Amino acid sequence: MRATPPLRLNASARVNPAPRGDTQDRPTSSHAPGQGVPALRAPAPAGRRETVLRAALSILVLAMIWGGLTGWRIDALIFGIPAILLAASLPFLLSRGASWRLSPRGALVFALWFAVQSVKGAVDVALRAFSPRMPLDPGFRSYELSLPEGAPRVMFINTITLLPGTLSADIIGDRVIIHMLDKRSDLDTALADLDARIRALFALAPNKEFHQ
Amino acid sequence: MLELFAATLITLGTVFFIAGTVGLLRFPDIYCRLHALTKADGLGLALVALGVALLAATPGAALRIALIWFFIAVSSATCGHLIARHARLAEGGRHD
Repeated sequence: MRATPPLRLNASARVNPAPRGDTQDRPTSSHAPGQGVPALRAPAPAGRRETVLRAALSILVLAMIWGGLTGWRIDALIFGIPAILLAASLPFLLSRGASWRLSPRGALVFALWFAVQSVKGAVDVALRAFSPRMPLDPGFRSYELSLPEGAPRVMFINTITLLPGTLSADIIGDRVIIHMLDKRSDLDTALADLDARIRALFALAPNKEFHQ
Repeated sequence: MLELFAATLITLGTVFFIAGTVGLLRFPDIYCRLHALTKADGLGLALVALGVALLAATPGAALRIALIWFFIAVSSATCGHLIARHARLAEGGRHD
C-alpha cells in the first residue's frame, strides 16, 4: 500500500504560510473570527486549548519522523530535541494564515482516490509517450478557484498536476491556469470533483462562495 | 515470493521512469514534458520505493523510504508548477 498518513500532510502543509491580511507576527491565540476563515465547528474560540493541541500533535509527528530517521537511538536526541522543538515552533513564528483542520475520514478517502488518480495520470501520459502517433492536443484552460486561501488551495493546485492530463501552470488572482495534454477533455467536471474532495478532506462546507 | 513481488514492482517502476524520459524527449514543448516528468516519474518513484521498502528489513528503513517518497512527490508537483509558471512569464504570460 502507498501509505499517505494524513498526519504528515498536516505537519508539512502548515509550513506554507497563507498570504492573508495579517502582516505582523500574531502569536498563537485568537484566529480573528469573521475574517472569512471557514472553520466549520465553532469559529475557533478555544484558542489556547487548540494551540496546545496543535503544538503537541506537531511535536508527536516530528518526534516519530526523527525517531524513524535515527533508528530510535537515544543519544541522537541531543540534536533531536532542539530540532523537534524548533520545527514545532515554526508555524507560530511565521504569521499564521487561515486555520484549518483535516477530517480523518476525508483524508483516508482522499488518499485512496489520490493513489488511483496518480496511477491513471501516469499510465495516460506513459501511453501517450510510447504511442507512435503520440496523441497530443495541448492547450491552456483556466479555472476559477473557489476554495479558501491557504492549505486547501495549495493542496488543490498541487493535486491538479497529478490528475490525468492536467498541470497547474500559473495562478492569476483567483484563477488557476491549467495546461492540458488534450484540451478537449472535460476539465470542469474533473476539477469540480476535486474541489468537493478537498472540501471533504479539510472538513469545509460544500461549495459556496467563501472568498469576499 | 516477497522478493519476486518486490522485483516486479521495481521493474514496473523502471518502466514508468523510461516512459517519463521518452516523454521528455518526444513531447513537443516544455509543458507537455512537465506532464511526463511529474506524473510518470512520480509513479515510477512510488513503485520503486514500494518495492525497496518491501525488501528493507527494518521498519525504520521503510519509514525513511516513505518519507523520501512523500517529500519528492510534494516537491515535484510544486517544481512542475514553478517551471511552467516561469516558462509562461518568459513567453510574456499569454492569457488564453
